[in-house]
Amino acid sequence: MATDVKLPELGEGVTEGELLKWLVKPGDTVKTDQSIAEIMTDKATVEVPSPMNGVVKELKYKVGEIVKVESVMITLESSGQTTTAPAATKPAASTTTSAPATKAPVSIGATLNVKLPELGEGVSEGELIKWLVKPGDTVKVDQSVAEIMTDKATVEVPSTVAGTVSELMFKVGEIIKVENIILKLSGSGSVASAPAPVQVTQVPVAATSTPAKIPAAGATQAGPILYPPPADFKVLATPSTRRLARELGVDLNGVPGSGLAGRVTRDDVMSAKGPKTSAPQTTHISAPASFPKPAYVSPAGAQEERVPLLGVRKKIAENLQKAKQIIPHFTLMDEADVTQLVGFRESLKEAAEKAGTKVTYMPFVMKALIATIREFPMFNASIDDAAGEIVYKKYFNIGFAADTPNGLLVPVIKQADQKTIMDLSKDIVDLSTRARDGKLKLDEMKHATITVTNIGSVGGTYATPVINHPEVAIFGMYKISDKLVLSPDGKVSVRKVMNFTVTCDHRLIDGAVAARFLKAFINRIQNPGVLMLDMH
Amino acid sequence: MQKFDVVVIGSGPGGYVAAIRAAQLGFKVGIIEKEALGGVCLNVGCIPSKALITASHHWHRAHHDFKNMGFILKGLDLDFKKLLEWKNSVSGKMSSGVAQLLKGNQVTVIKGEAQFKSATELTVGSETIQGTNFIVATGSRPIQIPGFTFDEVDILSSTGALALDHVPKRVVAIGGGYIGLEISSYLRKFGSEVTVVEAQSTVLAGVVDPECAQVVARKLEKNGAQLLMNAKAKGQKKTKDGYEVTVEVDGKEQILKADKIIVTVGRRPNGDQMNLKAAGIQVDDRGFVVVDAQRRTSQKHIFAIGDICGQPMLAHKASHEGVLVAEVIKGHNRVYDAKTVPAVVFTDPEIASAGMMESECRAKGYNDLLISKFPFAANGRAVSMQETEGFVKMIADKKTHILLGVHIVGPEASNLISEAALAIEMGARLEDVALTIHPHPTLGETMMEAAEATLGHAIHIIQKPLTNGKSAHL
Repeated sequence: MATDVKLPELGEGVTEGELLKWLVKPGDTVKTDQSIAEIMTDKATVEVPSPMNGVVKELKYKVGEIVKVESVMITLESSGQTTTAPAATKPAASTTTSAPATKAPVSIGATLNVKLPELGEGVSEGELIKWLVKPGDTVKVDQSVAEIMTDKATVEVPSTVAGTVSELMFKVGEIIKVENIILKLSGSGSVASAPAPVQVTQVPVAATSTPAKIPAAGATQAGPILYPPPADFKVLATPSTRRLARELGVDLNGVPGSGLAGRVTRDDVMSAKGPKTSAPQTTHISAPASFPKPAYVSPAGAQEERVPLLGVRKKIAENLQKAKQIIPHFTLMDEADVTQLVGFRESLKEAAEKAGTKVTYMPFVMKALIATIREFPMFNASIDDAAGEIVYKKYFNIGFAADTPNGLLVPVIKQADQKTIMDLSKDIVDLSTRARDGKLKLDEMKHATITVTNIGSVGGTYATPVINHPEVAIFGMYKISDKLVLSPDGKVSVRKVMNFTVTCDHRLIDGAVAARFLKAFINRIQNPGVLMLDMH
Repeated sequence: MQKFDVVVIGSGPGGYVAAIRAAQLGFKVGIIEKEALGGVCLNVGCIPSKALITASHHWHRAHHDFKNMGFILKGLDLDFKKLLEWKNSVSGKMSSGVAQLLKGNQVTVIKGEAQFKSATELTVGSETIQGTNFIVATGSRPIQIPGFTFDEVDILSSTGALALDHVPKRVVAIGGGYIGLEISSYLRKFGSEVTVVEAQSTVLAGVVDPECAQVVARKLEKNGAQLLMNAKAKGQKKTKDGYEVTVEVDGKEQILKADKIIVTVGRRPNGDQMNLKAAGIQVDDRGFVVVDAQRRTSQKHIFAIGDICGQPMLAHKASHEGVLVAEVIKGHNRVYDAKTVPAVVFTDPEIASAGMMESECRAKGYNDLLISKFPFAANGRAVSMQETEGFVKMIADKKTHILLGVHIVGPEASNLISEAALAIEMGARLEDVALTIHPHPTLGETMMEAAEATLGHAIHIIQKPLTNGKSAHL
């Protein structure tokens, strides 16, 4: 007599699970309560017990398939003991009538799941760069287990629990979403300070609809990362809006309130979260919908390779597309006689070495730039299109383009006006080293007021760089070369010459203004002594 | 040995609420209680004191207010033993209610005192209990001062004061905080001669709005209590007929005679108990368990809520944290982000507050404030209740009219304050409160009128036009 064994209720709100493993095969004899399969739900991994004695006839699912509650998992051929059972109109119930208890303990696999935590505002996923652990390793709480690259930075993911690594759920290069389980630990190790996993719970044996609660143990608890931070007292948002923001990972402290007297509404929170909430199924953070997304159709038989556009590269693509769409660019170019500057820098080499750093031309350019911006504040501004206002910034955060293996990154030197040439040199060395190593913090790439690009150190006479929106200008510096120059009195001499460009947002900066700006800059950079005049 | 997903230590308003919510979320929960379920709040604190205060209020009104309504009372006797029985039955009902709720949620109650053995294990008597997560909710206890060791017979903490089986003739109450004043006013109403000894210059100093405190102090004195401010209790001596309490007031010593001495100078957290060190839980030098915004201790799977994790030591704060922590354990992203913990003092009249006092507003950088009061004497319901003392005071940001603080002293202040708490959590402006129709005739109208008063034009009081000749919102 064949009997269908169904997947029992696994817990409140759990409607299905993934079949991880069969613990029996056709032909096996099973006893009542013997585990027949491991099912992973979104809450826990459970072993499904057999409600009766019998011989396995057929397995209805393959490993990896999703099994819904109440669907038939296997067929059992009843063994002798159940022959006394009444007609099998309700096969599962027939055995339970003779079983003394309707519930039996089932062991929830002692598995601890480590999930990818919230990585920052608006970050929903990241690319797995590297595993820092392997199966069999013992992991402590807070130990880094993986490096994940998001579109903003590379972060190390800490384990929220302790245990022994049993399974890595992703391969290097794969995209992991926030809240995905990234690895599994078995908690059997003697871990003193870590929460022990719950071992035992109750699920009904019979394939009835008796609800059973499967407690989610420490395994699924939130990690120690507290994001977003609690809202400041002055933020006006109702308690339910504050909770919504927390659940969506929106930091209320930075959300502009559209409501009366600056109240942050639910809509404000939703839009701060971005399009992700309205379309949770999207795989990637999508670019603003207004951008065209033409397909590239491959010619037949062409030798091509397709890789996903992701991470830093995707972010670069989005940012530059946005900048080009919003900002009407123009670039002005000129050359400067930097003979004096070259000599001046040479004279500083020794002092710099003593201070343990090297001085490049970049800090001088930054200093001259800041002095010039003080004359032309519109170069250190932004346009708030939404408010219809120009925002003049009274601080000088200078971004500089850094070429890294992951692509273009722009580290920012904060309050550069308050730093010495030596400070700037050290910052530049430090930030560019860490940019190359993917160790920049998110905050170190934010809030630039103007950017300098030194593409000339690689090559090229002039370039027309793209402005880093919402800045309104990008300054270019190029290689120094020897040039024969005809002076006004007719003499020919060899001079050190360097090209500079300034690329401007034409909405705010007129051509003539840009020309005066570049001229003023060149006056300074040609006479490094003049720079001294601007020092505090 | 028992194992739980969540072990709660202490069954006060923090612990039992946490246990129930954790059980609702599907956890296997155990709760440990060394005394009665419900903790201090239900058994020797909030609930029994309110029973006695209510009784004394009725007693007092019967003697003073009822004759205006034409009641002619010929002899009114007090059976204090019966009152005590009734008070105990109130606590009993609440405590057994907690027991039922815990049972109904399949929470295992373990009687005894918990001692941590490690971060995952504790003992209760000879029993070992293991937990995946712990919630420490063991509250606080009365502070004892030198020279006044509690014997709970004559030298009483709040616990002993609420268990008195007779009305003592002469009472010296050391400490003019909210507990001391609540007990003093109830004993005074039943006829005790009460002297309140307070080290600071006012009662309820720093705890409530100074103007509110003043109303209560005046009423206490009017009712015949003596208030000694800037007074330090130096010691006590037992004599033939009671005690002599030495008090230093402005440098001069004086002797107060007393039959009972009540010491309510504050409460200290119980962070020195339960061998928290063995679990690796950090405790600060005042005895508070150190927690983060999720009420997580230095051990990630151990949480602390209520009095033991910091001020204000109020039951409703503990309950809020209890729910929060259970949900954090479940994996929900939650933090403690309430804007205000309303506070209530059951003096006569009652004081209640939500949001900030004026000094706190200024400390937070709100320099331009709108502040006004509306008196209960101008409220029809208060007049018809013969309870017209006090006022509703509102403080708002002048620029945005956002409500920053509400301070009520007056009848049913404790029941009126929730509207203010909601308004502050919702970020309400004065106009929001003023334009909400409040039913007549109720005490609640004073909230609406106070908002109007703060805007410059309450209906039921005469207000001078504001300096610019306009009200703030017209």
